[in-house]
Amino acid sequence: MKRILPFVIIAFVLGAGLVTARYLQRASLETPKPSPVPSASPVATAKILNPADPGAEPAHALGDPKALVTLEEFGDFECPPCGALHPILKGIETEYGPTKVRIIFREFPLVPNHVHALAAARAAEAAGLQGRFWEMHDLIYEHQKDWHEAFDVRPIFEGYAKTIGLDVQQFARDNTSEMVERRIFLDGKRGHSLDVQGTPTVFLNGKEVPFESLAPEKLKALINSELAGHP
Amino acid sequence: MPTVNETDRPSLARRAAVLYGVTAFVSLIGLADAIYLTVEHLSGRSVRCTITSGCSEVLSSPYATVRGFPLAGLGAVAYFVVFSLATLAAFGYPFVGKLLTLIVAAMFLATLWLLYLQAFVIHHFCQFCLLSALVTTTLTALVIYAQLKTGRG
Repeated sequence: MKRILPFVIIAFVLGAGLVTARYLQRASLETPKPSPVPSASPVATAKILNPADPGAEPAHALGDPKALVTLEEFGDFECPPCGALHPILKGIETEYGPTKVRIIFREFPLVPNHVHALAAARAAEAAGLQGRFWEMHDLIYEHQKDWHEAFDVRPIFEGYAKTIGLDVQQFARDNTSEMVERRIFLDGKRGHSLDVQGTPTVFLNGKEVPFESLAPEKLKALINSELAGHP
Repeated sequence: MPTVNETDRPSLARRAAVLYGVTAFVSLIGLADAIYLTVEHLSGRSVRCTITSGCSEVLSSPYATVRGFPLAGLGAVAYFVVFSLATLAAFGYPFVGKLLTLIVAAMFLATLWLLYLQAFVIHHFCQFCLLSALVTTTLTALVIYAQLKTGRG
């Protein structure tokens, strides 16, 4: 018996390890859904009816407000998976067009994990004040690797501002403005009210898309199934 | 007449069993950590660091994979091998201790390399990787001590 016992223990640990891995994998697939906190008080009841904060208004959105599918991304410009999601969403935008799919971007900088995330969010919002949010959004994401390692990102973002034809002095002033700060704060508040745990988090018509489904084919399948109900 | 060597044998065996038993237990911590990191790596999401700052930088860096295979997965396999060998050694299987020492020594060298990468190349530390470094260092100390004290092969 003593000769077999160690092998029994080893087999048990192997089995337990595999089961744990499977459980963790499932848990990360089924990301927690936003759930209103149940409470008996009447003040909280109103909250349950409308649990999500509206976020900054008007939201940065591409596409028709009446589009059948709305994708709302909570993104951090410095997060590598967000950078990887950027071309996927771009592809969806061109493939489906503005009447079918609407894309909304919400600021969700993961500070202090990403040291330049807030500066990037400010730059995008400051460009937004001159009507060029998406141009700046695209440049920042596409050049994520270039500025991510930089010590001071301001001159880089000002360079982008120049590239897309912004009034650079105005842009520099807006970077630290109350308006920009407030938009980022309101988007973050909306994210927290929807229980956003990390980035990128995408909601498809209000339902959180599991991270694994953000691969192009899976995301398209979800959009198609949503469009299928509306010929 | 019993020799000194013979009277020493039971206590030596017990000491080896305890030392390798502790080694097996410590390797389980490394195994749990590596399994968590492997699953997070495969899911691809930015892991939220709670103590240090650079989880997503470290885990999404090119050094987190070896020919497309997640490094954390290799770590999980290594910790499982260490656990298996330490368990066998604790039960008195011969020659396992030396093999275990070799493998743990290789893991320790790999750990030094990964710490160097985090400190000087990626410039970020990930707490789960640091826990793994701590576990491997403890394992190294344990198996060297076990070899010196028991000399069992």
